[in-house]
Amino acid sequence: MAGIRFESVGKKYSNGFHAVKDLNLDIRDKEFLVLLGPSGCGKSTTLNMIAGLEEVSDGRLLFDDQMVNYMPPHRRDVAMVFQSYALYPHKTVFDNIAFGLQMRKVPREETARRVQDAADKLEISHLLDRRPSQLSGGQRQRVALGRAMVRNPAVFLMDEPLSNLDAALRISMRAEIKDLHHAMQTTFVYVTHDQAEALTLADRIVVMKDGVVQQIGTPDDIYERPQNTFVASFLGNPPINYIDGAVEVSDGETVSFVRGDLKLKFAGETARKLASSNGREIRLGIRAEDVDETRSSGEDSLIRGKVNSVLPVGSDQFLGFDFCGEELFFRVGKDLDHALGENVALSVDLSRLHVFDKASGASLIW
Amino acid sequence: MSDVPSSSTQVVDYRRRQRLARIAQRLIIFGGSILLAVYVIAPVTWLVSSSVQTEAEIVSVPPHWIPEEPTLRNFKAIFSATEEETVTYETRSGQDPAAGGFIPSTASSLLPAMANSLTVATLVVILNLLVAVPAAYSLAKIRTWGRNATVYFILITRVIPDIALVVPFFLVIRKLGMLDTIGSLVLTYLAVTVPFSVFILLQYFEGLPDELDKAARVDGCSRFQALIRVFLPLSLPSLVAVVLFTFLTSWNEFLLALMFTQTEASQTLPILLAAFTSDFTISFSFINAAGVLAIIPPVIVAIIFERYIVSGLTAGAVKG
Ligand SMILES: Nc1ncnc2c1ncn2[C@@H]1O[C@H](COP(=O)(O)OP(=O)(O)OP(=O)(O)O)[C@@H](O)[C@H]1O
Ligand SMILES: [Mg+2]
Repeated sequence: MAGIRFESVGKKYSNGFHAVKDLNLDIRDKEFLVLLGPSGCGKSTTLNMIAGLEEVSDGRLLFDDQMVNYMPPHRRDVAMVFQSYALYPHKTVFDNIAFGLQMRKVPREETARRVQDAADKLEISHLLDRRPSQLSGGQRQRVALGRAMVRNPAVFLMDEPLSNLDAALRISMRAEIKDLHHAMQTTFVYVTHDQAEALTLADRIVVMKDGVVQQIGTPDDIYERPQNTFVASFLGNPPINYIDGAVEVSDGETVSFVRGDLKLKFAGETARKLASSNGREIRLGIRAEDVDETRSSGEDSLIRGKVNSVLPVGSDQFLGFDFCGEELFFRVGKDLDHALGENVALSVDLSRLHVFDKASGASLIW
Repeated sequence: MSDVPSSSTQVVDYRRRQRLARIAQRLIIFGGSILLAVYVIAPVTWLVSSSVQTEAEIVSVPPHWIPEEPTLRNFKAIFSATEEETVTYETRSGQDPAAGGFIPSTASSLLPAMANSLTVATLVVILNLLVAVPAAYSLAKIRTWGRNATVYFILITRVIPDIALVVPFFLVIRKLGMLDTIGSLVLTYLAVTVPFSVFILLQYFEGLPDELDKAARVDGCSRFQALIRVFLPLSLPSLVAVVLFTFLTSWNEFLLALMFTQTEASQTLPILLAAFTSDFTISFSFINAAGVLAIIPPVIVAIIFERYIVSGLTAGAVKG
């Protein structure tokens, strides 16, 4: 155990709402899979179906080739960490962590040993006698992790476990969760709407929207090769910039993007894929960090505009940039000094352009 | 207060006024509490006091709050249930009502009636919990088709006044051959109390986070175990409310008991107490003694369970 397979799985709630549609997904053994998407896209629903907390309405859910559609949660070897932690208020920390083992009739000494082990690892051994109400948010979160850890489950499920923590703690807990995955050597399915968390933790990311999977891939795939504008926009800070325009093929080999005065020459593979699309209406995507001022690679890579706003963010700065009346955001080095209203030309990294169909938003190059 | 002299008389003035206001506030609260206490306690005090008075002393004006010649003969009559002193139609002329000193003919039924009342109330409480707890849990945490309709239906049964149900109940009970049995009372009291119990518990269970239920089930609990091991310990206050409510309701119920019971086999305390007032002769002191006995069990139940009605038991279940 345990590979998990979704075969055309759908979930309809009793009020008729279709929360997950035709989900096909193969979660590999020992993989760290992250479900990523905006609020209400069906991430928790998917996770709850794995846990058995929500029934599968259509299709089949398999744990290693065994169909588990109707298997109740207590028969599945899964552990789960909830966003609200859901600690048992009437039990001590020790009993909270031990409860899953007690329910599974693990011998008393064994239980005590495993609870102590987990508590040591999470540095909460001094809190074992307390009740959840006497703990800080971070401590509760650790207890919730401990409760799942001691079980040594085949599948470890986490539903936005870090979203109630403050920013600093969230980042340090990310590292701990990654370590935990290495140490436990089990399948992790992790739900978040935080792109940074997803990119840091995941072996593979599943991006969802309105109950439909948008893309499945490694963090690199998702970030570098987004398959549609939704995925491209969902990751990246500040978000990717779009410029609508058309493909222009001249001399049969120079393929460029044209919008008014702006002309950007496509490179390599991209150029080849668009070579037969002369005149096609497209939406060009430029990631905020894919511009540079210092580079001067010729006229066909420059985008000109007026500086609207300058937002320093410590390591570098965000530049609000007015291009033909559209607001674009770029991330540039903080040594660049620009006055508001100044006209600047930025050099675009031509090898990293994203091209989408204007109507459907689907990528034309990946 | 500091004894640093204030620089301005205005400040002193303000402080004095504030202190006066605080004292006045306390006086008002204190006075109000006394009034409320008197209002609640006085009838009970008179009940207890008059139960050990003679009939003559009870009717004296002004009333004696503290009996001058306390007597336990009323209680003795109830517990020993001796025949010699009781008044029957045949013997009543031998006694002088004005001097008091008579005991109603049904005095000996009092303890059996009390036993009936206790049996009925206890059964109703236990069965209520057995039915209402799982019902409320499933309505609160298992989302199914028809769930809302069920809740509304349960609530609607509660707005029908009992008096409208008496005749249908009577017909059913008679058809079942349960007239003059304790079972008839248990059955009908359940019909009256279970919806309300479900309602109380439903409110409470809905307030407990869904994720707690999910956590328990992922930790290895079946639905039933999640209910027993996680929800019940957390819902103690509402369970106590249900126990008190159902116990008191069945202990005090009159109308249905009047309809269904005829003999000592099933008569409950309220029926018997009411019967005393319609005996050939009325002994107020005896009725009050019986009344004292009637309030003892509810008081004991209230004292046992009162301390479990604590709030804040669920604090810390979820974030915050
Ligand atoms: N019990 C339910 N009955 C009906 N609709 C539900 C139920 N639970 C969730 N939904 C709906 O299903 C959709 C998906 O819910 P889900 O909880 O999976 O979202 P999510 O991706 O986890 O969002 P979030 O990031 O806010 O937690 C939402 O639109 C929600 O309103
Ligand atoms: Mg969610």
